[in-house]
Amino acid sequence: MSLSTPILWVLLPLVIALIALVAFNRRVFSILLTSLTAFILSALAYAFPESMEFTIGPLSLTFTESLGFLGREITLSRELLPFISLIYFVNGIWALGSGIKGVSRIFRPTSLAITALLTAALGVRPFLYAALLIETAILASIPMLSPLGKAPHPGILRYLTLQTLAMPFILLAGWLLSGVEALPPESPLIIQSALILGLGISLWLAIFPFHSWVPMVFESSNPLVTSFLQFMIPSVVALFSLNFLNRYTFLRESEGLYQILQTIGIIMIALGGSWTAVQKNIKRAFGFSTLVETGFSLLAIGLANQGGLVWLLTLMPARALSYWLWAFILSRIEERNGATELAHVEGFARRFPILSIGLLLAQLSVAGMPLLAEFPTKLSLLTAAFESSPALGIWGFIGSLGLFLFTLRLLIHLVRPVPEEEPNRWQISENRSEMIPVLMMVGILIIIGLFPKAFLANILQTLTAFSQLNP
Amino acid sequence: MQILSILAFVLIVITAMAILVFRDWRIVSGALILQYLAAFAMVTQTWPVGMAVIKLIVGWMATAAISLTYFRRENVPLFSETPSSFTFRGLIGLLVILVVFIGAPSLQTNVFPELDLLILQSGLMLIGISLMQLGTTRDPFLTVVGLLSFLSGFEVIYAGLELSSLVTGLLAIVNLGLSLVGVYFIIKVGEETSLTVSEEDKQ
Repeated sequence: MSLSTPILWVLLPLVIALIALVAFNRRVFSILLTSLTAFILSALAYAFPESMEFTIGPLSLTFTESLGFLGREITLSRELLPFISLIYFVNGIWALGSGIKGVSRIFRPTSLAITALLTAALGVRPFLYAALLIETAILASIPMLSPLGKAPHPGILRYLTLQTLAMPFILLAGWLLSGVEALPPESPLIIQSALILGLGISLWLAIFPFHSWVPMVFESSNPLVTSFLQFMIPSVVALFSLNFLNRYTFLRESEGLYQILQTIGIIMIALGGSWTAVQKNIKRAFGFSTLVETGFSLLAIGLANQGGLVWLLTLMPARALSYWLWAFILSRIEERNGATELAHVEGFARRFPILSIGLLLAQLSVAGMPLLAEFPTKLSLLTAAFESSPALGIWGFIGSLGLFLFTLRLLIHLVRPVPEEEPNRWQISENRSEMIPVLMMVGILIIIGLFPKAFLANILQTLTAFSQLNP
Repeated sequence: MQILSILAFVLIVITAMAILVFRDWRIVSGALILQYLAAFAMVTQTWPVGMAVIKLIVGWMATAAISLTYFRRENVPLFSETPSSFTFRGLIGLLVILVVFIGAPSLQTNVFPELDLLILQSGLMLIGISLMQLGTTRDPFLTVVGLLSFLSGFEVIYAGLELSSLVTGLLAIVNLGLSLVGVYFIIKVGEETSLTVSEEDKQ
């Protein structure tokens, strides 16, 4: 029996998402269905045999990489499977943690559908059509960000607007680029195409000055939902963008482009870090920190000739786990406290010490604290940036300090005694459903920080999909 | 054929300006319906009618979905506007028209030589004026109308560059999806079936 990989990682999850949507009221069933589907698809992608053949008892399944669709193809090659495994794993853990109050009930089916659409976007040929699939994923994300019956927050309208504006730019850039391959490098059309492409990708990645929706959406929506989107969309867009570098020689060989990417990356890190340091709301600080992470991704692509693409990919799993922990704990704090402003979490650590430690460690992991998951990669990235240009390295380091400073401010607020409470009384008020996932994730972040190669090496196989960029 | 194109172009400019200047949902919806008709006429210059009609049907379906949802709202907000805001939007609309007339010929020569100037101008008018619309409103209905109008402008230009059934199909999905998002946004406030609060949360 012959099947194709897009049936397994695109059509099947879309069908299951539809079933989960019909049963969105049945919380446990919906959580189990979506998270199990995502974990199974992730495991399959992780352990997919090179021969592309499966034998289950008398049934022998042979997989092909392509699926024809309206005259075009979706091709999920074996090289892409480690990344697909990551995004389905991310989907799985987010779905598993989505049973908490405040998370939209349609988050689970929608997140599965979004993962399937983004997977299709990675495989559609010609690849510029991915813009339409990513736009569809963005439209699907709106209901889980904005509760039905409430006026949409201006940040969500801005998110919808800016992300929608990106799609035409990418399609147009794709059309222009197809005609400029034969032109001499000094042709103005090449620069125009690159500018339009850059504008489209900047809108998608919320690069300054198109970033304003990020803190607004983080502030207005549930952190688990926003963090899922701010991990998935920038990660897929970053990988999708590598297609352009891989396909077009004039982009790949343009030294100026790499310098521009490094500079924009550092600007994002420095500005995002500065904004993070001065925030009064943890959710907004989270939003700004995701902008810093986008900056690191851009910096990694800009340092592609020094091995930056390896760091781009190894950052992703560590970032995903840190985001999940941060978002999970923030959702819990919002549930317990009703607010996430620094002024409202005073003394919180005295009542909920495990949640508080988990929150601080999640933030420090994102910030690149030694012994935690993102540290090894960020250290390598900043070192390479410093070697490329000391100014870049210094600004990158300053930007990275932003989240450290915010974490320090948060720590002071968390442990500050509240006058009406007994001053020296500390207690553990968390229940098991809060403690177990937090402690497990903290343990995983520390283990990844100690043994990064053991956990992050598999995803590097994705780079073989970009034969021209493969270091 | 040329007369049809000119008529379609004039209709595009008038409807885009009407959407930008007026805030009354009835005028905006009517203008959007006519705008899709004009965009369809423009697309038929480069595409077979059978393919172009998909854009018309999808556009009208999208308009019907958001307009009827708005119509069913119990408390339709009345936009009380000062003459200065009305004049301001009219003036920025005229500015866009001026910029398109000045910039389109050189854009056609340098970037889109195979595209008819009138088609390019029509697309740019829609894109430019809808961008102004998006920049001057925070209302969900008008935002979605602005985005539909922006995509319509892009589709007019893109139709002259590429004919692909996959792109047509996906753009139809995006337009309908956008209108569904619009419907979602403007569903009356206070709807009891809030999807945020789960049964467990209520207990």
